[in-house]
Amino acid sequence: MYFYISQAIYSLLSTFGFAVLFNGPKNCLLKASVCGMMGWLANITAGKLMLSPTISTFIGAMTVGIMGEIFAKLFKKPATMFIIPGVIPLVPGAGMYYTMLSLITGEFSETAQLGSETVFTAFSIAIAIIISSSLNKALLRLWELKSGKKEIITKR
Amino acid sequence: MPYRIPFQSTGDEDSEDNFSSAQKKARKAKARNTMNMAILAGEIMLESGAETYRVEDTIIRLCKAIDIVNYVDVFVIPTGIFLTVGYDNNINTVLKRTKPKSVDLNKISLVNQFSRRFVTTNMTLDEAIDYLSKLRGLKPYSDFVKSVLGGGLVGGFSALLFGGSFPDFVSAFFVSLIVVKSREAVARKINIISYVKDFLGSLVAGALAILFVSLGIGASVDKIIIGSIMPMVPGLAITNATRDSISGDFLAGVSRASEAILCALSIAFGVGVAIKYYTYFNIGGM
Repeated sequence: MYFYISQAIYSLLSTFGFAVLFNGPKNCLLKASVCGMMGWLANITAGKLMLSPTISTFIGAMTVGIMGEIFAKLFKKPATMFIIPGVIPLVPGAGMYYTMLSLITGEFSETAQLGSETVFTAFSIAIAIIISSSLNKALLRLWELKSGKKEIITKR
Repeated sequence: MPYRIPFQSTGDEDSEDNFSSAQKKARKAKARNTMNMAILAGEIMLESGAETYRVEDTIIRLCKAIDIVNYVDVFVIPTGIFLTVGYDNNINTVLKRTKPKSVDLNKISLVNQFSRRFVTTNMTLDEAIDYLSKLRGLKPYSDFVKSVLGGGLVGGFSALLFGGSFPDFVSAFFVSLIVVKSREAVARKINIISYVKDFLGSLVAGALAILFVSLGIGASVDKIIIGSIMPMVPGLAITNATRDSISGDFLAGVSRASEAILCALSIAFGVGVAIKYYTYFNIGGM
């Protein structure tokens, strides 16, 4: 329990820092941090369930994406405001570092293993964001069709 | 939707519309102002790191809100905007070259709000251009706030997240504060390529991490370096690249992806040089 609480606090503050670094609007900083915290908690929970780093990062990024879409609806801001700062703690900075370290010490098989894991983790984040945003669009469309509303999203 | 022909030649251009020459002049000016306004809005968004589809969408909405415009088409890549606007019997195209600056979510959000307001209320074009040029000059958070909150918090707590201890937190806090602060200062003084900046930043991060450990402030070099490179990692570029590719903008996707890869490589090489010297001199404490 202590582990989860400490990780929640760390990820909250770290995401807050990212939101400041990306110049987020003042009233979105804390909301984005909550988003990032939930994503990180989902990530470490999936990690505890012995899922691979790629899959657990995917689950974390998916959580951030869904939270971001919900927050975007609630607070009338683009979803990117919450998603971008929230997703950065999941970016495999550690993977990048260890890949480089193994490259320098000359262990090439380890480099290949760590490197491919890092690349796939980075891609899983992007794919999770896309899935959550297109899910949101699909749900919105479904809701429009059901309520017989006119097209809100006008596509060219 | 039926296929819309952008520009139909009617042979004798001027005899077609029944406007006086003064009216014609006014309409021409209005169309030009529309293009200026839309390009300005798009430029601000693109410079602040928005996705290309969002920029395209905003520009089309803004242009369609003007009554005289009867045709809009836009093509956005991360380094430029092509906009075509048709009115009466004329068609104009503008090409605007843009340079990516730092990420600024606040500006993206404000332009988004502005476009919603512009479409729904009857704001004049001059007011819109005024508002946008004021928005463009909007200052980001000050260097101090950015380096303490953005650098320090991110570095310190990322080191903790990746399994560092309290001494690592303290040293990662200061290392990444120094790195972010010096990067901002360098960016303001000289116009240096961002990849070189990333390389130097991670080199300094690695060197300072080694220094802090050899001084006995930090505990493990790994955790400090991981924490202090986090403010530089190209997370936004990776996400935007895949988003653009999936929505069909492969040109934008590929150019963003190569940006992300170059950025990641320069960070990795910077760290690599630092560790190489560390293992060479073997100061101890790894």
